[in-house]
Amino acid sequence: MSQVQARFFTENTKYLIDDVPFSIPAASEVVDLSGVINKLLEAKNDGHKHVEFDFLVRGQFLRTSLANHMETENISTEEVVEIEYVEKFTAPQPEECIMHDDWISSVEADSEWILTGSFDKTARIWSMEGKAVMTVAGHTDVVKDVAWVKRDGLSSLLLTASLDQTIMLWEWNSERNKVKARHCCRGHAGSVDTVAVDPTRTKFCSGSWDKMLKIWSAVPTEEEDEIEEPNRPRKKQKTEQMGLTRTPLMTFSGHNEAVSSVLWMDAEELCSASWDHTIRLWDAETGGQKNTITGSKVFSCISYSPLCRRLASGSTDRHVRLWDPRSKDGYLVLLSLTSHNGWVTAVRWSPSHEHQLVSGSLDNVVKLWDTRSCKAPLYDLAAHEDKVMCVDWTENGLILSGGADNKLYTYRYSACVSDAGA
Amino acid sequence: MRPTHSGTMSKVKNKKRNLEENEDEQLPIFDKDGGKDGHLDDGDEDQGDLSDSEESVFSGLEDSGSDSDDEEEEEDDDEEEDGTEEKSSDVEEDKAADGDGDDQLSAKEVTEPQTDGQHSKENKKKKKTAGKEGGEESVVSARDSGLQTSSQVDEYEHDTSDEEDIRNTVGNIPMEWYKDYPHIGYDLDGKKIFKPIRNKDELDEFLDKMENPDYWRTVQDKMTGADIRLSDEQVDLVHRLQEGKFGDVNFNEYEPAIDFFSNEVMIHPVTNRPQDKRSFIPSLIEKEKVGKLVHAIKMGWIKPRRPKETTPQYYDLWAKEDPNSILGRHKMHVPAPKLKLPGHEESYNPPPEYLMSEEERLAWEQQDPEDRKLSFLPQKFACLRAVPAYSRFIHERFERCLDLYLCPRQRKMRVNVNPEDLIPKLPKPKDLQPFPTTQSLVYRGHSSLVRSISTSPSGQWLVSGSDDCTVRFWEVSTARCLKTVEVGGAVKGVAWNPNPSICLVAISYDDTVVLLNPGLGDRLVSTATDQQISSYEEPEEVKEQPVQWTVAEGEGHEQGHRLILKHPKAVRQVTWHGKGDYLACVMPDNGSSLQVVIHQVSKRRTQNPFRKNKGLVQCVSFHPIRPYFFVATQRYVRVYNLIKQELTKKLMANCKWISSMATHPGGDNVICGSYDCRLAWFDLDLSTKPYKVLRHHKKALRSVAYHRHYPLFASGSDDGSVIVCHGMVYNDLLQNPLIVPVKVLKGHTITHDLGVLDVTFHPTQPWVFSSGADGTVRLFT
Repeated sequence: MSQVQARFFTENTKYLIDDVPFSIPAASEVVDLSGVINKLLEAKNDGHKHVEFDFLVRGQFLRTSLANHMETENISTEEVVEIEYVEKFTAPQPEECIMHDDWISSVEADSEWILTGSFDKTARIWSMEGKAVMTVAGHTDVVKDVAWVKRDGLSSLLLTASLDQTIMLWEWNSERNKVKARHCCRGHAGSVDTVAVDPTRTKFCSGSWDKMLKIWSAVPTEEEDEIEEPNRPRKKQKTEQMGLTRTPLMTFSGHNEAVSSVLWMDAEELCSASWDHTIRLWDAETGGQKNTITGSKVFSCISYSPLCRRLASGSTDRHVRLWDPRSKDGYLVLLSLTSHNGWVTAVRWSPSHEHQLVSGSLDNVVKLWDTRSCKAPLYDLAAHEDKVMCVDWTENGLILSGGADNKLYTYRYSACVSDAGA
Repeated sequence: MRPTHSGTMSKVKNKKRNLEENEDEQLPIFDKDGGKDGHLDDGDEDQGDLSDSEESVFSGLEDSGSDSDDEEEEEDDDEEEDGTEEKSSDVEEDKAADGDGDDQLSAKEVTEPQTDGQHSKENKKKKKTAGKEGGEESVVSARDSGLQTSSQVDEYEHDTSDEEDIRNTVGNIPMEWYKDYPHIGYDLDGKKIFKPIRNKDELDEFLDKMENPDYWRTVQDKMTGADIRLSDEQVDLVHRLQEGKFGDVNFNEYEPAIDFFSNEVMIHPVTNRPQDKRSFIPSLIEKEKVGKLVHAIKMGWIKPRRPKETTPQYYDLWAKEDPNSILGRHKMHVPAPKLKLPGHEESYNPPPEYLMSEEERLAWEQQDPEDRKLSFLPQKFACLRAVPAYSRFIHERFERCLDLYLCPRQRKMRVNVNPEDLIPKLPKPKDLQPFPTTQSLVYRGHSSLVRSISTSPSGQWLVSGSDDCTVRFWEVSTARCLKTVEVGGAVKGVAWNPNPSICLVAISYDDTVVLLNPGLGDRLVSTATDQQISSYEEPEEVKEQPVQWTVAEGEGHEQGHRLILKHPKAVRQVTWHGKGDYLACVMPDNGSSLQVVIHQVSKRRTQNPFRKNKGLVQCVSFHPIRPYFFVATQRYVRVYNLIKQELTKKLMANCKWISSMATHPGGDNVICGSYDCRLAWFDLDLSTKPYKVLRHHKKALRSVAYHRHYPLFASGSDDGSVIVCHGMVYNDLLQNPLIVPVKVLKGHTITHDLGVLDVTFHPTQPWVFSSGADGTVRLFT
């Protein structure tokens, strides 16, 4: 087998070539094929500049020689092979390295600001250029998770969840650069490890080490909720507390172990991952459990992509696993992405690309994955010198990762701009 | 030979005589030999007489009979006394007379058809009188019909062993019973029969033997004790019997046979009955039966006889032989070892490369004949004709014959045991998941060896105590050190209170145990614990306690110290009871009575449970469910019942020095690690000896631990490795625990010859923590 009949096609009209089968050497690899396409394009229009292409054979990225790939994928070499070519994703370009005083536990960025939570009990707001804008201090213990609630105009609402069992709702005025604690959400009996704001931006959910999920209102008000706490004097002691006390709207119990990660699938559906080896789907309105996905390891993080409707989970082993949350068979792993050498501590789907996700691990590496190439990640982002604790991916193509080396790295990733439809 | 002479005696008399003769038959010789005493007896017939020969008996018997008989007897006796020839004739005559009647009788009965006419009358007469005699007599007489004398006939007729000897009425008894009496029995009248006087001594006996010519024919009658001299006839009879001949000289055993029924057809048939009609008319019943059978055969109900198989049947000699047996015929076949075929070097004209050079030849010659590769020197000859006779031919043939002859006939069966089969079947570790397999997190921060670690009951925190005089609190999932507490000495032991509603950590250093509230986890629990401690009220009467309890204040309190317990000696180990109120501390000190103390935190009380400790206590442990307390000394683990205050069990660890101990959460199994590289698993239900001893570590074990939920246990050793084993305990009492080593976890670097110092499991996940001499704590998942 030295030659393979192949027909090339693409959905990017910029690089269209004639729809005729070519006979290409079976041993050719991505670089060779890319050369072939470029040659063809040059023949077609003179003004063509060299472009690196990536090739998909039946939805799988070509990573080895064509012959090898077809053998492992059980593709017959007798027929004409349909090969799709896309413009090669360019490597994420490192932009900023933002130094912190302590380990970064969480990061969330929107188009303008970066919000990070740190082990120095504070959350910080950074500009995209890496300038420290604001330090949000008020927790008495490590900040475990942060989340933007709302940004309209100059004032923004943000959440910080902490080991001190509280979640704080802050209001930040970007013009005056002032932050004010609006509410202190009390009710958890363990460290609050995760918060997630619902799509309507009026509620948020928190998951804690005390095995509970709680739903709170994210709308700041002026009155304080009554705490049904037995000993009043103790509350009196805590006069220095910041913000008005808020109590949960709803409590979901069902997990047998600590809740490590929570997210909203849509306005009515919640998803939580726990140390009890399960991912549970909840109805946010009624509080009922809708589905349970059972894994074999502790889940440390989950992410959901509305584009491909898949859940990605990281657990206390080396694999990133993809799940179908609608599947009734709660044990079925759709895909395992294996390349990490340590626990996967953070995963995040691309907000704009249905096949791409990023994961961070205790092995100090952030990996960029394409689900069409499950054997190996697209890129390894090995900038961290210590455990990666959190990753994020913004709408405008910025990948952020923070870790135990006190550094927050940002990468510009623009691959999906040119071939968004691919 | 018919009897020709008939006696004058009456028939009755004759009969009687016969009877008497019967008695004599036993020893027909003896009644004659009584001869010498005979005349004595005859003389007086007195019962009081010393002599008791049978003659006297006879006479007594014959008294009723006719005199003539007596006379005859007397005659006999007289004659016998003389021992002359005349006598013998007399006897003969006498016998003949006896036999006469008898013969007549028998002849009459048996040979009736051919009886002589002359005797018929007598016979008839006789018939009446002899009617009482049994048929047996007639049979015997028929056989003996040819006998001349009846004495022999009678002899066999009435010879029964249980016949009474009428001369002596003692019966058939051993005569030595009368050995000590003067008499030898009683006669018919009940008079004693006295023994004949025997006053002969040895000398007389000898002289008698020498001088008496009849000594050899003199015998003693045991019944009467009398000496009897055998007559010539009797001696002759003895001789004849010895030779196996008939006793009677005249008996012809080869008499011609007489046909009673002729083989010729006589004109007169034996019976003249006409033939039955049925003998020539076919039977109707049989016809019916045959008809039924024929019908059944026709209908196929019964099958006529199966035709004989024509194939010959042979006995299969080897039918029972197992074809697979080792000694089977074919298996036994040992083919003769093949000879090597001649090669080029054996050629008379070998190619030059086979010819040896001079050095090779010298080397060949210097070699031992056994070591030589070739047994000969290849030689080149000009032509086949020039090849000499092969000198080793006979020798080689002989060796070949020896090879064949000495070839072992018994095939040696090699036992092929696959060494794999000898290993007990254990499940594959893959099937026993989950268990820790890889190192996931390293908790760095300590600057010296970490002696002890413990996890919080929720599994969120880990506490470690180190020789750098600090205690660190870590978040398990991130390996973040959240708190560092300095204490006044190298920390020997830390133990997190297993009760989730109490937030206390016991830390031991030097002679102090500090109960510390780390303030981690639920704030409410933490404050509740503080309140509980601060709300303690001193009891009215203060007992003298071996340990001094003080409440921490000031800076210590800020750091979390709550209670400080000052012990008299250095505390090596602290361990909590499952409920979290009792705390046991070990102060190893050989020979002291205060090695183990149990504190009750809520009442701030300390008790010394043992009046006396045997040996150096290494570690202690509470039973998770029952009020038992395990105390490990150097070689033994003692199990105490704390309620009954008695020793319930003593486990023999079978090792030199126990270093650590852990109790299974079920409580029925204990593992002990020892400094001599062993890990002993005790099943308390099974025995006081280890159920299993594992020797996987290369160096001393420092710590062992059970998982609270998963069937796992781990051991840490000085060789820097942690070995995780699957240890399944079944509820079924019949099933012994299953122990499978599943993983060796390496990660710690060996410093100061110390590797892993403590291991502990995560309370909920199948994860194991290990602390090492390199100052790190590692998490394996």
